Amino acid sequence: MATSQYGLLTQQPLEPWELPSRGVVGMLCLILAEAAIFLIFVVAYIFYEGKSLSGPTPAEVLKIPIFSTICLLSSSITVHFAAHALKHNKTRQTSAWLAATVALGTIFIAWTGMEWYELIYKEGLTIKTNLFGTTYYSLVGLHATHVVVGLLMLSLSLAFSLLGWQTEKHYNRLEVLSLYWHFVDAVWVVVFLVVYVFGR
Amino acid sequence: MATDASYGNALAGGAQTAPSRTALQIVHEWVTTVDHKKIGLMYIVSALLFLVVAGIEALLMRIQLAVPNNTAVSPEAFNRLFTMHGTTMVFFVGMPILFGFGNYLIPLMIGARDMAFPRLNAFSFWCTFFGGILLYLSYVAGSGLAGAGTAPDVGWWAYAPLTAAPFSPGHSTDYWTLSVLLSGISSIGSAINIVATVVSMRCPGMKLTRMPLLVWLYTVMSMLVFVTVSPLTAAQIMLMFDRYLGSHFFDTQAGGSAVLWMHFFWIFGHPEVYVLILPAFAFANEIIPVFSRKAIFGYPAMVAASVGIGFVSLSVWAHHMFTVGMSAGSNTFFVLATMAVGVPTGIKIFNWLATIWGGRIQFTTAMLFSIGFLFQFLVAGLTGIMLASAPFDWQLGNSYFVVAHFHYVLVGAILFMLFAAFYYWYPKMTGRMMSEKIGKWHFWLFLIGFHITFDLMHIPGILGMPRRIYTYEADRGWMIWNLIISGGAAIQAIATIVFVYNLVWSFFKGKVAGPDPWDAWTLEWAAASPPPPYNFPQTPVVESRRPLWDIKHPEDADAYYE
Amino acid sequence: MNKAHDNGQTVDIHLPAPTAWPFVMGLGIALMLTALVTNMVLGVLGVMLLVVSAIGWFMQVLPHEAHETLTVSSAMVPISSTRTVLQHTSESSIHRRILPYEHFRFTTGLRGGLAGGLAMTVPAALYGILRYHSVWYAANLLAAGGFTDWAGASNQFLSQFHIDGLMAAIGIHIVVSALVGLLYGALLPMFPRYPILTAGFMAPLLFTGIMYSAIGVVSPILNERIDWFWFVASQLCFGLVCGYVVNLHARIRTSQFQALPFLIRAGIEANRGNRESSEDKSE
Repeated sequence: MATSQYGLLTQQPLEPWELPSRGVVGMLCLILAEAAIFLIFVVAYIFYEGKSLSGPTPAEVLKIPIFSTICLLSSSITVHFAAHALKHNKTRQTSAWLAATVALGTIFIAWTGMEWYELIYKEGLTIKTNLFGTTYYSLVGLHATHVVVGLLMLSLSLAFSLLGWQTEKHYNRLEVLSLYWHFVDAVWVVVFLVVYVFGR
Repeated sequence: MATDASYGNALAGGAQTAPSRTALQIVHEWVTTVDHKKIGLMYIVSALLFLVVAGIEALLMRIQLAVPNNTAVSPEAFNRLFTMHGTTMVFFVGMPILFGFGNYLIPLMIGARDMAFPRLNAFSFWCTFFGGILLYLSYVAGSGLAGAGTAPDVGWWAYAPLTAAPFSPGHSTDYWTLSVLLSGISSIGSAINIVATVVSMRCPGMKLTRMPLLVWLYTVMSMLVFVTVSPLTAAQIMLMFDRYLGSHFFDTQAGGSAVLWMHFFWIFGHPEVYVLILPAFAFANEIIPVFSRKAIFGYPAMVAASVGIGFVSLSVWAHHMFTVGMSAGSNTFFVLATMAVGVPTGIKIFNWLATIWGGRIQFTTAMLFSIGFLFQFLVAGLTGIMLASAPFDWQLGNSYFVVAHFHYVLVGAILFMLFAAFYYWYPKMTGRMMSEKIGKWHFWLFLIGFHITFDLMHIPGILGMPRRIYTYEADRGWMIWNLIISGGAAIQAIATIVFVYNLVWSFFKGKVAGPDPWDAWTLEWAAASPPPPYNFPQTPVVESRRPLWDIKHPEDADAYYE
Repeated sequence: MNKAHDNGQTVDIHLPAPTAWPFVMGLGIALMLTALVTNMVLGVLGVMLLVVSAIGWFMQVLPHEAHETLTVSSAMVPISSTRTVLQHTSESSIHRRILPYEHFRFTTGLRGGLAGGLAMTVPAALYGILRYHSVWYAANLLAAGGFTDWAGASNQFLSQFHIDGLMAAIGIHIVVSALVGLLYGALLPMFPRYPILTAGFMAPLLFTGIMYSAIGVVSPILNERIDWFWFVASQLCFGLVCGYVVNLHARIRTSQFQALPFLIRAGIEANRGNRESSEDKSE
């Protein structure tokens, strides 16, 4: 690989040839595509804000989810530490940080579940009720779906780590997964601001 | 340990010592393959099948419209025909066939052994394939009762509130939504694969500034896919929620907005045109220089113009909605943005002309189609500029003028370039040349048929014939035009049969092509024809934009000048 | 056709192993979607296929990607063409025309633009003094394009000194001058002979032409009051000064300069202009 296949006179020695990891590039592209999907749902939410013909309105039923937001955002930090630990082949630390990430993510998704339960059974807000229900459940639900997918992958990674199958060779894969998780968290920041802060 | 000998022979139909295999083994090989070349070929073949189906639908419509008060097909069937024709052509012919060529060519052109994610690549293909089958399943299973099928009939842009459950009962619209959703998953997967391949799999020396323009354009196209197909996917999910869960996104009764669907659809719909035309540009960028015997003129300007088209195309969608009634400010913005697309496109046309200028032109079939493309794309661009002006669009929106305009782009530009690509890369894919003699027949027949159909189609449009009508009165003055247009469509059909005949005939009887039949300059011609599964025995190293020129002319290599 | 068996060297190539899981997963997802329009039984089948294929796909990739190894001859494919290839005609050692050999740094254009902009204030101020007895008139007129409430301002108002008007005018003027200067720096190498004359006259005239057609939209107040004679005069002043300043700066050589024969590079044989007779570079 070092010499020219074609025996062509090289004017200068070939520079070292390193390209970005395909996993990271692929994940960044996926994030771009997913961001566009979320953008459309956020636009729909903002477009229909306050246009519901009947109640309940966001101000009446939504509570600001401070605790679960803190949990989800801090899970971004723990997954970063997990990947960092794996890079230096400290598998035990990796397991611990991954477990913390999964736990924090689970708290978040459990909170969302409880919120939905209250909304549906106490406030009587479903996706059919009004435009707020339609846009709220689809936007938050889309995000929750992404959290669930991320949690499944993280749990798998945790299981492999506990079984000792995950070594520093797999650092790249965990890095890609952590990118996804960061994206899910970043989307939550947008959803949080749009739905719970400005939307109320 | 497998050997590579059987591969080439199997495809080239060669008489060498390939062990004869059962049909099951061959099917197994193709179903399980993750080789980018086989997947590319599967994309192309499946798209060609759907092309024939959608072409037959177009012919049926032309038969119905040939004479006034015709009853060849019922009004309901006509609605289904134009819906299925549009949906099939965009999602199951256009996208797959372009992704197919991209799949086949990009790794070869950048000196890689495969795509970045070979398994994802196979998955993308199967999603598109099953999506197309799901769409056509609607003909037999549309309403859930076997034998009482109804295909989607809401038009390919499926405006709300026609798609709402009360107005579109049964499952026909759901077939449309779900198959387009499936195709969207596939497109995003393919686009991820292309970008990751281009960024991470280039051979040593293949800097971004040395990449063939085809690869550049596919990269821009893939980036566009992320930001356009995703909104469509989101809108389809909303539509599904509306239809299945009773939400109110596009339900005007509950305060929802039908115009929002239009915006979401056209945020996808217009850039989609560029997603389709950029690969056509890409083919032109490779074919025109080779048959003009000159390097492409203005490589950096071509790259910049492509990226420019990508960006500008994101801000023009609402020119499809002038007749909806937007504010004067938005109308002005979208008129100006649409006209601005003409600037980078114009740069491209001038660069192609400058490439041909003073060259030693060889009028092979591929070059003939490319020249046809240049001329027709110019005309299509000019009618596009006409329609971009809002007052003109208010007059002719939703008329046959619009139909003629976009078919000029889709057929006159994209399909012509696709034919050129077939003639140009067929030797690489199969190891045999396509017949030039039959090819010339194909070109001239198709050219004549095309111009008879789509040049004249502008006229009934100006005379006021709306699109999507299933028949018309005899005294409107459209009669003679429609008859001639249908005649032109028949000539195009004959030309297409000639083309398919050429594909099949050349596969068995064509002249054996060497690795480099056109004396071309990009890396794919350094591999055998057809290339073995591993593409190149050694990873190539390139030192200029035209690596094969450097090999053939070591005393005057491009590498000295770049 | 594609192998040279006599070459003894072989290499091992790893290719991703064929697998049916992507196909199964595609089918599973398609069946799940089909279930929505037909029967839920298909959906159950689809979910099963999806789960099985996800596991199977996982096993393909983890812990290591499944490969199949091919052993192939490392000999390269000889590039043979069925077309006749003409021998290179070598009537000239420099048969490639690659332009430009030299160009200016972009900062040069910037400097020229700013110098021209400075020079342009002289005729502009002159115009103000001669016509309205005020140095500030031209500056205020320029600034009026930026302030909507100045649209109906009187001549007297425009003749007075306004600090905000002056600041706005200076801002607009610097930006426009810099942009035009950059454009000018890029244009200059394309006019190899009499650069100041061609580019120094042509660029301002072109600019005036664009302004003449566009100004009605951009700044109606300017359009009403503009004096085209003085406008062209100051433009020419700009162009000539800008060209003079740019031309003072040294040109830098492009990498293509290296490809020229030594004699030309050394400046001994200076006939770069008349190579039109040389053949086109291909074949």
